[in-house]
Amino acid sequence: MGLISLAAAKTLASSAAFLFITVLLMAAAKRTATCIALFSAQCAIITAQILATAYLHHSGEGFLVAILVFAVKVVIIPYALLRVVKGLKTAGEVETSTTPVQSVYITAALIPLAFVVVRPYVRALAVDGQLLAAAVALVLSGAFLMVSRKKALMQVIGLVVLENGIFVAAITTTSGMPLVIEIGIFFDLLIGVLLMGVFVFRIRDTFDHVDVSKLRQLRG
Amino acid sequence: MTLWIPLLVPLLGAFAVLACRHARVAVRVALGVGAIEVAALANAVWAVHSAGVLQSGHYLRADGLTAFFLINIGLIFSLVLAYSVGYLRHIPHGRFSSARWFFALIFLLLFTMLGVYLSANLGMMWIAVETTTLVSALLVGFYNTEGAVEAGWKYLILCTVGIAFALFGTITLYLAAIRSGLPADTALDWTSLMNAAPQMSGARELIKLAFVFVAVGYGTKIGFVPMHSWLPDAHAEAPSPISAMLSAVLLNCALYALLRFDAITSRAIGSGFSHTLLLALGTLSVVVAAFLMVVQRDLKRLLAYSSIEHMGIVAIGIGLGGPLGLYGALLHTFNHSLAKALLFFTAGHIRSKFGTLRMDRIRGMARSLPWTSVALVIGSLAVVGMPPFGLFVSEFVILTAAFTQAHYLLAIVLLAAISVVFGAMLQHFQGMLCGEPQSMGARGKSLFADVAVMTTCAACLLLLGVRIPAVFTGFLHGAMAVLQ
Repeated sequence: MGLISLAAAKTLASSAAFLFITVLLMAAAKRTATCIALFSAQCAIITAQILATAYLHHSGEGFLVAILVFAVKVVIIPYALLRVVKGLKTAGEVETSTTPVQSVYITAALIPLAFVVVRPYVRALAVDGQLLAAAVALVLSGAFLMVSRKKALMQVIGLVVLENGIFVAAITTTSGMPLVIEIGIFFDLLIGVLLMGVFVFRIRDTFDHVDVSKLRQLRG
Repeated sequence: MTLWIPLLVPLLGAFAVLACRHARVAVRVALGVGAIEVAALANAVWAVHSAGVLQSGHYLRADGLTAFFLINIGLIFSLVLAYSVGYLRHIPHGRFSSARWFFALIFLLLFTMLGVYLSANLGMMWIAVETTTLVSALLVGFYNTEGAVEAGWKYLILCTVGIAFALFGTITLYLAAIRSGLPADTALDWTSLMNAAPQMSGARELIKLAFVFVAVGYGTKIGFVPMHSWLPDAHAEAPSPISAMLSAVLLNCALYALLRFDAITSRAIGSGFSHTLLLALGTLSVVVAAFLMVVQRDLKRLLAYSSIEHMGIVAIGIGLGGPLGLYGALLHTFNHSLAKALLFFTAGHIRSKFGTLRMDRIRGMARSLPWTSVALVIGSLAVVGMPPFGLFVSEFVILTAAFTQAHYLLAIVLLAAISVVFGAMLQHFQGMLCGEPQSMGARGKSLFADVAVMTTCAACLLLLGVRIPAVFTGFLHGAMAVLQ
């Protein structure tokens, strides 16, 4: 076994653990900018995972997808989100409805839950159980970030984390979707995040705050 | 080319409209592009009708089901476009809210929705559905008021999360297809999936999982209870022509995506699982929406809940299945879109006349707005399923399907919910129509275009209620043949 394939195998084996770490750190993060940086790191781990898979399966498309993920998720989306944070000029606190300690405990409880949920599928599909559990944990913690954080921007971050989870599930169980579809999905995600950025500014301009828990005019 | 033209015309048209400096020019360009688009759609529908299936490259495809929904989108879109011209005179100008932006976005929305209908590949279809959300969120937030921004945000976030679940479902189906031996590059193609479906029963659990996620995901866009909370906000806060577009076309568009998945799932593992899920979602939607309609105060929110109710009825029709249930469900999507377009057009008139949509503040409409009142009465009679309008026929067919399949409890619950809706509508509209008219701001006479648009809606509803034309029945059977 060559050195590179060894590295690739090690990357695949350890990426799940790294993903769990980012999930926990995000739950503890107090500033929006930290969360964005963590999201970027999370996507870098996923890029490494795709690269390793592509190398082990000798798939040229895999390398293209890795480049795409790196460009869109590690660079462009975090950059755009940081620009929004700067443009808002409000204090970058995430403002949770739970305390940070509670958030970390809840997220930590989501991880074993993820392992339990995926168990029947791991056996049936013969796939890497840790990575599939990491995918489910990303989906769950993304959803948790969306409901527990008050700032509009944190909902966007929760959403992209959730999407990351679905993406990891896809690359773990299949060797990736056809390339055209993959590109389309990335394009949609990018436009979606940019549009949400525009809406965050609109919320600020019309309401003078970006606290979505105070958006309760429309009821019933 | 037949399939490319209707896709490219609105895309290029959007940019053409955006390039116009003056609002008046923009409106004319928009009408011109709209006319070309309707012709292109008619051509495509006719080509599909005579050829059966049209395929163009790997990613574009149209069959009988597509043709049926293309008629729906073409008809409603042309009505919305004609209505928008008069409506736009009242739009306040803002950064992104001008006639140019309005028409450009509505053409982009049309482009994305046609993308959903024409895609041959379930992954492509997902991408198109997600883009419809992105474009229509801008239209929901078009007025830039507090309510519009809140509704737009809620819509964008909730539907993107919902659609993300649909992506997961799509991926799971893809996985099931690959495990059943389909090659990776065609494992999302509708044709190859339908052909391979009978051999996919080995991946039973995966297909079930996929359908649950797709039903939740696309169900969010269709507005099934309990994923419906964005829908009343978005439909009520959007400009009235857009509300008509969302309610009459976009809901059907998401439903179309779900129909495709339902067909594959039913063929692969039998219809029991997916149809039970649809029956449950449909019944829940009908019942919850019916009771929420009683307590509404805003006219457009009332209409939005009515959309949830009708989508529930359609889901029940699909869930009952068989020729009768499916026939009723497809016919109901068409009828509902006509009735709901008419009602939202009426709501636009009422808003510009009274300056509010709060039903308790509107009195004496029958005297001050006689023609709009006639339209409101026709629309509401149609939407609660009274004869001689089309919705009576389709609801009757669905109920017949329920009784013949011995789903007595379901039929009784459905009848009870429809009665509650009838009572709610009667109570709300009686107050609005009767009484002494208050003093109100003057408004110019209603345009010829508006009268023509509303008359068309009412005439089509009446026609479908009295005697369904043979050509239309042909299209309906063509659509059903695809799904069975």
